[in-house]
Amino acid sequence: MTAGLAVRTAERPVSRRKAWSALWLSLGGLYFFLPLLATFLFSLRGKKGVLSFVAYAHVFRDPQFLKTFTFSLEMAVATIVAGLALMIPTALWVNLRLPRVRPVIEVFALMPFVIPPIVLVFGLIRMYSQPPFALVTSPVLLVAGYVVLSFPYIFRAVDAGLRAIDLKVLTEASQSLGARWGTTLFRVVLPNIRAALLSAAFLTFSIVVGELTLAVMLAWPAFGPYMALVGRDLAYEPAALAVISFLLTWGSLLVIQLASRGFREQGPTAGGVH
Amino acid sequence: MGFVELVNVEKQFGKHRAVDSFSLEVREGELVSFLGGSGCGKTTTLRMIAGFEFPTRGRILVDGADVVPVPANRRGIGMVFQNYALFPNMTAARNIGFGLRASGRPASEIAARVQEMLTLIHMEEFRDRYPHQMSGGQQQRVALARALAIRPRVLLLDEPLSALDAKIRVRLRTEIRSIQRTLGITTIYVTHDQEEALSMSDRIVVMRDGRIEQVGTPSEIYNRPANGFVAAFIGSSNALRATVLDPGQGTLDVDGQVIRAAQASAAAPGQPVRVAIRPEAISLHNGSATNNHLKGTVTNVMFLGSIVRVAVRCGSVELITDVFNAPHLVIPELGSEVTVGFAPEACILVGEE
Repeated sequence: MTAGLAVRTAERPVSRRKAWSALWLSLGGLYFFLPLLATFLFSLRGKKGVLSFVAYAHVFRDPQFLKTFTFSLEMAVATIVAGLALMIPTALWVNLRLPRVRPVIEVFALMPFVIPPIVLVFGLIRMYSQPPFALVTSPVLLVAGYVVLSFPYIFRAVDAGLRAIDLKVLTEASQSLGARWGTTLFRVVLPNIRAALLSAAFLTFSIVVGELTLAVMLAWPAFGPYMALVGRDLAYEPAALAVISFLLTWGSLLVIQLASRGFREQGPTAGGVH
Repeated sequence: MGFVELVNVEKQFGKHRAVDSFSLEVREGELVSFLGGSGCGKTTTLRMIAGFEFPTRGRILVDGADVVPVPANRRGIGMVFQNYALFPNMTAARNIGFGLRASGRPASEIAARVQEMLTLIHMEEFRDRYPHQMSGGQQQRVALARALAIRPRVLLLDEPLSALDAKIRVRLRTEIRSIQRTLGITTIYVTHDQEEALSMSDRIVVMRDGRIEQVGTPSEIYNRPANGFVAAFIGSSNALRATVLDPGQGTLDVDGQVIRAAQASAAAPGQPVRVAIRPEAISLHNGSATNNHLKGTVTNVMFLGSIVRVAVRCGSVELITDVFNAPHLVIPELGSEVTVGFAPEACILVGEE
């Protein structure tokens, strides 16, 4: 009798916790999916009285759509490559050799949140519009700006991945087996922080594809300015565009994930910031 | 000349001297253990040999050549780590073959060596398992095979068994020793477990505060400790304060009772000395005329299975004695008067006070 009571009282908080979890998860899901659903339904009302994909047809017929999305896609890939090339050695160095520098890097990682993109882009234009650094017409400057914007996300994701594995011991084990730094990095470290690298790539991709300020001020035909332009002049097409861009972004992320599978040797990997 | 030589090696971390005036010669094919408590500098010394730390002063030679300027990946020194350090993204076979792949060996050679190593550690059926699919003991065997696969000149083991449970530890240390003997590889083994060091090593280096306290075979270290620290650190021992009566005869006064040590004392008559006696060297009710005798009262009795530990108070001194258990053993009662006996050879003079 007593034992039965004890079991029941122990069960009750568990089931209550589960109910609360389900409630908050549902609320979160609704918060995320309801606007998407509303946008999708609105995008189908391009033709009066019926639900149709006419707004989608308009978007796909516009050559600017593919052009801007492709451009932003290229910039996103360039930013991911440049960002990771910069942040992986930095995070490795901070974790292995200079842990005392971590607070300095943390301060740098806060900068993109403190300095608005408009201030950043004016600084870039001022600095790089005349020789010897006349880069204002080069996409390199745009990528550099995107790297700055995505710095906190890339660094934190990579750093979290490195901290989740026993980095020091794994690198030492690799060295004691005769491996050079390149081998250690590409065969031991990176495959074991694959999830963290993917996180960094996903976050960077999302930031770059929707970015507006830098692309407008540096006058590049990116997807962000295109969406803003369409949204200003048309009614149903922006909604269709939002749904398409959402699907395209997730599709691209899926491609990144599938492509990265060839890069690992299997087995569990350390996670990053998700 | 030793195969591995450390000459006056010193390591300073800021103001802290982790290793001080460390000189040692390790012969080819020998297994030498570094034994000491936490922070005694044993792992730091091992890491300097591996190339993960640089000595502040001194030289480290392997086969006659100074390896201090040589990076870790070119020293040809294999290392086994405390927490296995297997690469989580690789199977057992790929972990074992990693060093060979890194040095660009042909695939056929790698496959043959991996198979040889898996056979050596009796884990052929585990070749496709990932580290998280193996137990701690299995992982450590794979780590050992991985370190041996590159045919290192020297093998370093940094407390390889400390993360394992007691039974596996005992089994694995026998296995490591057997593999080391089979391959004849020069090995340096770091441990804080004296039983491990005593059972596996050709020689033991006892360390304290970055310095060597004694180097010797397990038997020398146990039976002839160089000082009070080694006597207390290795095994358990009774520490008696005594006064020298006749240094030549080795007679000593222990709280009014006279005993004799086989070892002559360097101290003058009347000088205080410290005597260490192992518990198993003391017997109860020993009537041998050649033995030392002390009278006392039983203050504690502990039944430990194979042995019975009896504490006897002799004046101001409490002696612990270990008696082998046997069906006919009469266990003394608490408070009973007994005579304890020990041979003069059992009295180890461990430095004057």
